[in-house]
Amino acid sequence: MIMFNRSQVIGAEFPDDQTIRFNGIQVDHIYSMEINMDVRITDGQILTIEGIMKRYTTFVCPQAVPVLQTAVGMSLREEGWQRRMMKEIGRKGCEHFAELIIECARCLDQARLSKAMWQALEKEPDLDQQQFMQNWIEENPEYQN
Amino acid sequence: MTIRFLRNKVVEVTSQSDGSLAVSWRLTDDLLQAEIDLTVQLPDLEIVRAEARLQRLVPRIWSAAPELIKKIEGVRVGSGLRKIVAGLLGGPQGCPVLVDAVLESANAIILYFTRPVLQVGEAMEGEEKLANLREMIKNSPRLVRSCVAFQDDSPIMQGLDL
Repeated sequence: MIMFNRSQVIGAEFPDDQTIRFNGIQVDHIYSMEINMDVRITDGQILTIEGIMKRYTTFVCPQAVPVLQTAVGMSLREEGWQRRMMKEIGRKGCEHFAELIIECARCLDQARLSKAMWQALEKEPDLDQQQFMQNWIEENPEYQN
Repeated sequence: MTIRFLRNKVVEVTSQSDGSLAVSWRLTDDLLQAEIDLTVQLPDLEIVRAEARLQRLVPRIWSAAPELIKKIEGVRVGSGLRKIVAGLLGGPQGCPVLVDAVLESANAIILYFTRPVLQVGEAMEGEEKLANLREMIKNSPRLVRSCVAFQDDSPIMQGLDL
C-alpha cells in the first residue's frame, strides 16, 4: 500500500513575448497548495504571485499567504535563488509554498525550450528533436531544469 | 489560452514486507520522462538501492544518469543530505534531475513518518491538540523555525524553549 504520495502539476502559458505564467498545484496526503505567478522571461524576475492554501496542519499556517508577496521582485536566475526562496518564503512563511515556487521556476527554461521546439516543428515536422534541443541548450547557457 | 508546457511529478512511499521503504519518483513533461526508484533500509534510513531511467529528450550530458545514481547507495537520509547529494550527483558533470529526485524522495520519507503523528492529532481539540503539536516539535527539532508556524513568536511555540 502507498503510505505517502505527493503530486505536483505545473502548467505554463505565455501571455506575451516577455512573460511566462505558471500555475502550480501540489497535493499530498498532508498538504494541498496552489501557486499562480507571472515571471519575466529575460531576467527571471517574479512579477506577480498569489497562493492558495487548501489543506494545512496548523491554525498558524494561513499567515504564510501574505508572506508570498516577498517573492515579487526576486529573480529565478540570480545565484542562490533556491536557497533564498526557502529562506524568505519557506522559513518565514510556508516551505510547501516555497517548494511549489521552486518547481515552477525549474520549468522556466524547459517551457521555453518546449515552446521553441513546437514552433520549429510547425515549420519542419521531421525536425531532429534531439539535435534541436542540444543546439537550443548551447545557445541558451542559462538553461536549468 | 492553451498551456504551452505541462509537467507532472509524483513521489510515492511504500512500506515493504521486509520492513524497508520503496520510494518511486516520477517526472513527465513535454520533453523529459524520468523515473527514479530507491530502497531505504530502516532503522538508519540507508539508501541500499538506487536506479534511474531518463527517456525521451535527454540532454547528452545527463546520459550517464543510470550509473551516476549508484553513487547514492550507502548514503543515509538525515542531516547533511543536501550537501552530500549535491556533491555526489550535482556539479558540471552531474545531473540536477537526480539531485532533485533524491532530495524530494528523502522529504517524502520524512512526511511518511509525519503523517501518522498528524492523524493522531486530528481527533484532539484545543489545548490537547496544541500539546500534541508541541510534542511533535520536541521530537523533531528540524521543525523549529522551519516555517511561520514554528517561529519563536508563533503561539504554537509559546512555552517551548527550543
